Amino acid sequence: MSTVLASFSWQIIWDSRDELAAGLKRTLEVSAIGIAGAFGIGLVLGAARAHRVPVVSQLATVYVEVIRNTPILVQIFLLFFGLPTLNAHLRFEPFTTAWLAVMIWGGAFNTENFRAGFEAVPFRYREAGLALGFNRIGTFFRVTLPIGGRIALPSSINTYISVLKNTALMTAIGFPELTTTARSISAVTFRDVEMLSVIAVVYLSLVWALSFSIRVLERRLALPEEAR
Amino acid sequence: MRRRLRLDVNTLTWVALGAFALGYGVPRLVHWWQHREPWVDPVVHLMRNALNVTLRLAAFSVVGAAVVGILLGTLLTIRFLPTRSLIRLYIEVWRGLPIVVTIFLIYFALPSATGIRLSAFTAGTIGLILWGSAQVAEATRGAVQSIPREQHEAASALGFGWVGRHAFVVLPQAFRRLLPPMVSLLANVIQNTTIVALIGVGEVLETGNRSVERLTFTTADPHAFEIFTGVMAVFFVISFPLTRLAAFLERRLV
Repeated sequence: MSTVLASFSWQIIWDSRDELAAGLKRTLEVSAIGIAGAFGIGLVLGAARAHRVPVVSQLATVYVEVIRNTPILVQIFLLFFGLPTLNAHLRFEPFTTAWLAVMIWGGAFNTENFRAGFEAVPFRYREAGLALGFNRIGTFFRVTLPIGGRIALPSSINTYISVLKNTALMTAIGFPELTTTARSISAVTFRDVEMLSVIAVVYLSLVWALSFSIRVLERRLALPEEAR
Repeated sequence: MRRRLRLDVNTLTWVALGAFALGYGVPRLVHWWQHREPWVDPVVHLMRNALNVTLRLAAFSVVGAAVVGILLGTLLTIRFLPTRSLIRLYIEVWRGLPIVVTIFLIYFALPSATGIRLSAFTAGTIGLILWGSAQVAEATRGAVQSIPREQHEAASALGFGWVGRHAFVVLPQAFRRLLPPMVSLLANVIQNTTIVALIGVGEVLETGNRSVERLTFTTADPHAFEIFTGVMAVFFVISFPLTRLAAFLERRLV
């Protein structure tokens, strides 16, 4: 172990800081687009499933079950290698594939999160909204969403954390995010220990920061006792 | 009245989707299989062997994760700060890292750091066990803590020590709570075995990928869409019943 510590090179980490920062930037970009999209998909399809909107809700169920029961890595391969052989117009850049894959994946999980959140809103609140003269859409935005969205928030942040972690799989399609960058630096320098330790620390900091934010948000957005 | 009508529309949609699948999708698939091109049979043969690898990988990982996780999760309920914080750290690290990074650490960094060189299969299994055991430990902690204190006290009164109390009284009861998360863990582990393809283990995804590469070189058409859709279908067929079972157990047991 002492030889490891002796040969651990901080220099190589310092020297590759620009490349690693560029990789981290791409990881964060892909995660941000994926999370924003997953939020939108989850909101729309979660609402459709909770309110049993015909056709949309059944198609959403199929989408959710297919995505949740197949590995995301296979979905990435299908998007990146499979679709172009079906139709030449479906050839995506690695960047596009990266955010599209995590968005589709996160959207399926978020649909379930939001569905559960909206269904947890007691029916009498929706009745109260309708009785106050709001139409169904108004009731959704003014009653179901503020309450159900808060119920769904912790589990949806967990999904966003997984989206961030799943961007590491883009190393399979050579998209130069953090993991791919670290691997390509260590392929040249043979500094696997240093590179992988650095990205492990970066991923853990990001994930722990987000998990911490769940706990803070849970406390701040906790529903008053009588609204549960 | 209105609610009943809407319910009917939903049922009708399912009927229509099912009719479409049975009337259009299934006949087309059957036709495709009966008139299959010569490239299909070798790929199916390779896939069958690869499925064996995937299932072995999943079996080792799940058993390892269950053993380590239940042990750590039970130890986590002891109110002794050093062990508790060490196990917490273990859980948070292996749950927080992307599984790819864990597996890369074991496969690429461990040899240069310690000289221990593991086969890709072993490295992948260990990576999946580290991640899985962190999940199981967290679930076990909750399940053990859900057992009322009286059970512990009664067991102590009967003369059981800490080990006997947990092995014979608390854990068998906690197991009911643990069953649904263990079933969904099995489904997740089976899906996550695909990550091991990235270090070259010939499981289902890697085999599909190699078939695509071989077909690209030998014939003009790589058939990547068919092959990766097939891989997806294999995982869906395995995973869907398991997630349904987990949801059913969740409703029944808790």
